[in-house]
Amino acid sequence: MTWKEKLAEKLPRTLADEIDVYETQLELRKLGKIDEKLFAETRLRRGAYGQRYDNGQRYDGVKTQRLQFPATTLTKGPDTMWDAPGMQRIKIPFGGLTPSQLETLADCAEEYSDSILHVTTRQDFQLHFVHIEDTPSLMRRLAASGITTREACGNSVRNVTACPLAGVCRTEAFDVTPYAKATAFFLLGHPDTQDFGRKFKVAFSGCEHEACGLVNMHDLGALAMTRDGKRGFRLYIGGGLGPVPYQAKVFADFVPEEELLPTAQAVSRVFARLGEKQNRARARIKFLVAKLGVEEFKRLVDEERKILPPDPRWTAFIPEAHGFKETALKSPSSLNGQAKPEGYKAWAETNVYQQLQPGYAVVTISLPIGDLTSSQARHLADFARKYCGENIRTTVEQNLVFRWVAEKDLPELYRELKTIGLGEFGAGTILDVVACPGTDTCKLGIASSRGLARELRKRLADQYFTMDAAVRGLRIKLSGCFNSCGQHHLADIGFYGNSRTLGNRKVPHFQVLLGGKWLDNAGSYGLAIGSVPSRNVPVVVERITKRFVKERRGDESFQDFIARIGKAESRKMLEDLMEVPAYEKDAAFYSDWGDPREFTMGDMGMGECAGEVVSRIDFDLQAAERLCFEAQLKLEAKDLAGADALAYKSMLQAAQGLVKELWYDVPNDSEVIVKEFRARLFEPKLFWDRFAGGKFAQDFFRRHENPPSRYDHDEVHRLIEESQLFIEAAHACADKLREQKAAQLSQVLK
Amino acid sequence: MDLYKIGIKLFVTNPQAVRLRDFIPVFHGWIQQQKIAGHQLIDVHDYSHVHNGPGILLVAHEGNFSMDQEGGRLGLFYYRKRPLEGGFEANLKSVTQTALQACTLLESEPKLDGLKFNTKEILVLTNDRLLAPNDAGARTKLEPVIARTLGKTALAPQSADPRERLAFMVTRS
Repeated sequence: MTWKEKLAEKLPRTLADEIDVYETQLELRKLGKIDEKLFAETRLRRGAYGQRYDNGQRYDGVKTQRLQFPATTLTKGPDTMWDAPGMQRIKIPFGGLTPSQLETLADCAEEYSDSILHVTTRQDFQLHFVHIEDTPSLMRRLAASGITTREACGNSVRNVTACPLAGVCRTEAFDVTPYAKATAFFLLGHPDTQDFGRKFKVAFSGCEHEACGLVNMHDLGALAMTRDGKRGFRLYIGGGLGPVPYQAKVFADFVPEEELLPTAQAVSRVFARLGEKQNRARARIKFLVAKLGVEEFKRLVDEERKILPPDPRWTAFIPEAHGFKETALKSPSSLNGQAKPEGYKAWAETNVYQQLQPGYAVVTISLPIGDLTSSQARHLADFARKYCGENIRTTVEQNLVFRWVAEKDLPELYRELKTIGLGEFGAGTILDVVACPGTDTCKLGIASSRGLARELRKRLADQYFTMDAAVRGLRIKLSGCFNSCGQHHLADIGFYGNSRTLGNRKVPHFQVLLGGKWLDNAGSYGLAIGSVPSRNVPVVVERITKRFVKERRGDESFQDFIARIGKAESRKMLEDLMEVPAYEKDAAFYSDWGDPREFTMGDMGMGECAGEVVSRIDFDLQAAERLCFEAQLKLEAKDLAGADALAYKSMLQAAQGLVKELWYDVPNDSEVIVKEFRARLFEPKLFWDRFAGGKFAQDFFRRHENPPSRYDHDEVHRLIEESQLFIEAAHACADKLREQKAAQLSQVLK
Repeated sequence: MDLYKIGIKLFVTNPQAVRLRDFIPVFHGWIQQQKIAGHQLIDVHDYSHVHNGPGILLVAHEGNFSMDQEGGRLGLFYYRKRPLEGGFEANLKSVTQTALQACTLLESEPKLDGLKFNTKEILVLTNDRLLAPNDAGARTKLEPVIARTLGKTALAPQSADPRERLAFMVTRS
């Protein structure tokens, strides 16, 4: 008996067929009858993602080991070993989940993964260390409980997210749940969404001024509004985080509800037709919108809308949407002064939200770094059946919520949560640190975001009750690299991982970003202040928060505080923490949180000279970083031309430093520097990111070839972000040049 | 029944003597030396922040090892992920041997001075709800094989909840 046979009657036909096709493709790949690239995109579109070390190599702290998998030549994608553990992403549209779905997820986590369910920053679940050959059974079991993994990864419409309070929120225009659901299933597998050059993320919000669905950072965001009593949405287009964050533009002030799906379809068509396909790094819709301008983009979408063949699904869901109402398990009730367990008060303050509907509350179940065990998940399913019925949702802050809990049940629910270790307080506070997987499992991770999050949570929990209330309310978000999966741009205090080389050793660092705005649907993005060694991050948090408390004026927000003291002062506050002690003085700086391996290039040994070697290129890159920072100061002072010039100059400085490594006498002539940089570093792919390819260099070339004739704040802001990333890439390139030099030297010495 | 997704947990007798995160460098050391025969050891994962979870996990291609805290009891939990050649009895024997080998290695680690496992009490778990659901039929079928293989004096089925995996606590003389 197989799961396919066992679940034959329970699987919807279309889902069963899709998974059968996927399983056949998997078999064909094993026989070598499907190209690895094609198979890679096939599995990605079913949510089966690669994971760290799947290229078959791992640095073990002493040397780089070749992992000896049974299938020595078979791959599941370029440079991706067949037998290497992978990650399965599971879409949960608008985060909506039932107890039985939670149980299925728990079973799958136990049998195919490591008994851990991880909630992501886009309301998905992820299971890690999954073997590719287990994925069809896993998908069938999920499908039998109404969950699809289709288009969870790949160049497709990703999970459609929505505010976890939708429908019970005290300030929303109306419940966006049925609209998010209709959009998710309308776009899923739609022929017009199958030819994107890159992923496409959609979100729904019910309120403008809360964080809600974070519509400003999405490819397509829909904010609920009513006009003359009629439901509709303000649509946003072209937002996104990633290496260079873009704030979404208003696409239309009011799109009536019956136009929501056709507009999304027309947007998809324009994106599929005109979006970049070759250069992955500039293929998100944000680049297309920026290139065309939002007015022209809208004109094209409107033209497309006119010629769309009518589809009954555009409006079929609307009557249901108007009648949509979740069922509460119990009658409303109030607490009525009943006895409360120890710890209840602190928990209720942060983890309980009084619903719009009197007598009911939303309970946030804080999950440490988004993780829960299969056993906890089964208990939660039992608790849900007892207290809130079908009304569970995941959140983008990596937690779960129970909605429609009768208020009188709150103390008992809290007591039960505590028995399974999920009664922690602090949801939505500084304790609720968000982190992407980082170096734990992600192929792109540079530094250990989860290791750092674990450490910060521990330290902050010890101090929580003595903290100023203003500090408790801050948010910390961490990403393991510049790709922003931890949404660091939106945090009061955000960090993303990078590395610096000191002598012959690499040191894990985190770039500090201050003043991002979570509220107002991701209202604004924090800007980089400087990079600090990972080991110093807890001190950075302590220092910034202490200063905020000390110098805060009245009810001043953290964003206003940072804006008032300015970036130069913010950086000055942290400057001593940017220093790295010598390895001999404190070796801990040279390894990452929770990982005893030395954070270094595996086969690079210590130099003959015992002293610290700081090369010329390090000085050049340091100068480039300084220029980039000065550009930020100019931007802060609203000197757009000055900021633009300095950002460009910082890239030029870094490029010149690199070229000097190959041609020492390169003149200070920008044309020559760019020409030589292109020929000596870009074209031979020395200045080349493994994942972003030549993107960072192309940003530099674009600015060099097209200096602005007029200055726009957003454009200049973006250039500064690009220059920061260019410098990060220059550090990586400098390492490559060092390796090359060392190899040449060893050849000569032979 | 070609059941190979089998888990074995051996409990630590003196959990107060060790800190969970002390296992992180130990497992990294095992990877450096590829200490477990027949296993491609890959990576270490820290789940110490999760209540009664997998604790510290050593991921291998063939099966995972963890200093597990499920049920609030610290122990070495090994579970097989990739197929084995034999039938259930041979597979159980193989999985048990691997778990015991890992325990012996941990007991000999200087960094975990004094760590001891109780080899008289073993949790046997089937991690496959298709081939071995938690019901009377599977229990009756597997119980004698487990008793024969592990030499029991007492064999107690664990949770009767059909959602849970079929598991037995074996007490040996």
